[in-house]
Amino acid sequence: MPRILVAGQGALISPEGQVVFEARGYQLIFAHSLHEAVNYVLEDPPDFLITEFGFDGPERKLINAVKACLQKTNMPILLVLPRQVLPAMDWNLFPVDDIILEPASPEVFLARVQLAESRLLRVFDNNPLSRLPGNTSIIRAIQRTLEADATAGVCYLDLDNFKPYNDRYGFTQGDDVILMVARLAVNVVEELARENSFVGHVGGDDFVVIVPEAKVVPVCEKILANFEVVKNMFLSHDDLKAGAYHAKDRQGRETTYGLLSLSIAVVLSRRDKFKHYGEVSAAASQVKHLTKKLDGSNYMIDRRESYKPDTAARQ
Amino acid sequence: MEEEKRQKFRQALRDVKNLPTLPAVVMKLTKMAEDPDVTTEQMGRVISKDHILGAKLLKLVNSAFYGFPQRISSLQSAIILLGFSVIKSLIISASIFEFMEDNDRELWEHSLGCAVVCNVLARRLAVSDPEEISTAGLIHDIGKVAIKMELAQEYREIEAMVHDRGISMREAETEVLGFNHAEVGGWLAKTWNLPSKLVEPVAMHHNPAGAKKEKLAAAIVHVGDIIIRGMGLGHGEDIWVPALAQSAWQLLKLTAADLDEILLEVEEKLWEVKGFSLDIMAEFEAKAD
Repeated sequence: MPRILVAGQGALISPEGQVVFEARGYQLIFAHSLHEAVNYVLEDPPDFLITEFGFDGPERKLINAVKACLQKTNMPILLVLPRQVLPAMDWNLFPVDDIILEPASPEVFLARVQLAESRLLRVFDNNPLSRLPGNTSIIRAIQRTLEADATAGVCYLDLDNFKPYNDRYGFTQGDDVILMVARLAVNVVEELARENSFVGHVGGDDFVVIVPEAKVVPVCEKILANFEVVKNMFLSHDDLKAGAYHAKDRQGRETTYGLLSLSIAVVLSRRDKFKHYGEVSAAASQVKHLTKKLDGSNYMIDRRESYKPDTAARQ
Repeated sequence: MEEEKRQKFRQALRDVKNLPTLPAVVMKLTKMAEDPDVTTEQMGRVISKDHILGAKLLKLVNSAFYGFPQRISSLQSAIILLGFSVIKSLIISASIFEFMEDNDRELWEHSLGCAVVCNVLARRLAVSDPEEISTAGLIHDIGKVAIKMELAQEYREIEAMVHDRGISMREAETEVLGFNHAEVGGWLAKTWNLPSKLVEPVAMHHNPAGAKKEKLAAAIVHVGDIIIRGMGLGHGEDIWVPALAQSAWQLLKLTAADLDEILLEVEEKLWEVKGFSLDIMAEFEAKAD
């Protein structure tokens, strides 16, 4: 049953309205203080949020709490507001999905919620595991770096020896590791390079992070440092102690694999260097190939002045 | 003790939602959250000094919704995975004591002190993840806060019993409720999907021999609790130092000479704790004036 958090000082939805919602299989949860509402969002997240203009103060603490974090970017927010404030609204400051002008009947509320629900299903591109934007969005984001004047770092992240990890620990735990990389990449980008950045999930253990050139080194270093801290939670005590594990490779030969590590291949993209996003990813594969030869977690930046399809990348 | 009554108490404690913490800590964090230069790590360091917020952070990261049930046992990892905005929301949603008593502050200091001792012990014994053991030390007494908040009337009864008959808090809890705060802490940790590496040391910190999988961790928290109590940091009304379990002591394989060195190291680190405690209290009182 979809759950709707109704956060406002007053009764945004009347008892009669509540009956309308419940008849359609929605459960309404009411929060009358900001503190209470944020606690719901954190600990018992609803599927929708209906809130009133002004409820969460000039800093829009509730709306931002919902929108700013990866886990909840999919939760639609409906803002209830009086008609007279409309001319002064700056929608960049209110990342909501829809508005409802008051006074509105319960039927209008219900229709807006149902519309938001069906709109959610139309977003086909997001990765189902990490909920990050997928390939269509990634291609578009890379294309944007090719149209910009400023140089952007397009960083390709992927786990080393992920297949043997999956074989050893099972794919459920493999998924947890992928989710871990998604979370920490988003959190690092959000903290160090919030402006002009992008995080996408190609699929499997491959991610793309785009940040301005000046942020490439701090972001890569922080992602790798955080990965080193968290990865131990995903390894068994015995493997940690041994520092490696043995498994058969694809040809059935006994091989020693290092514990989890992460590689990042970075291509500096700007419009005078590449013509097409395909060239960016081809350059990245060249760098990735070199990065993968190193032990443990590493990042490598392709500093070549121009793109040459058939030569190996140099550091 | 009728089983029915005990069940009622248990249910009340399991349903506990938002445990309160010290207003001074929340005030400090609120101020930090508004400062654009503050990093996630800096906020993390303050949260790691608070048993209630620390427990709440672990509850969040181990909830199915955030995707890592029963997996994350260290606060540092929890902070990396949740990120700055969730931590900010955590602070907005934090609940504070409406009427703070000296006891509340003392239990906070005791918890933090216990985390410090556990960390020193864990490093000395070269366990694989010392931070995990200090986390268990930090949250080992959350059951006490839950009893106080959810069973206020019974808590007063327990307090009176401790005062009038000079018995330990644990004995009084067992008499009034039919279980003690360690068991309560264990249920909470389990309900919150914390990994067994944390559940057992919390649940067994007064009965380390009862630990099944995490014997060493339970023994370290047990000994850490006793050492910090012995050093007189934050006893609350519970003045008796708990008895040392022989089996736990043997598991740690420490000599009297080791203990001397450990105490010296702990004492040095406690200066930092006391300094932090004085700092935030002073900041809080200055604001209140």
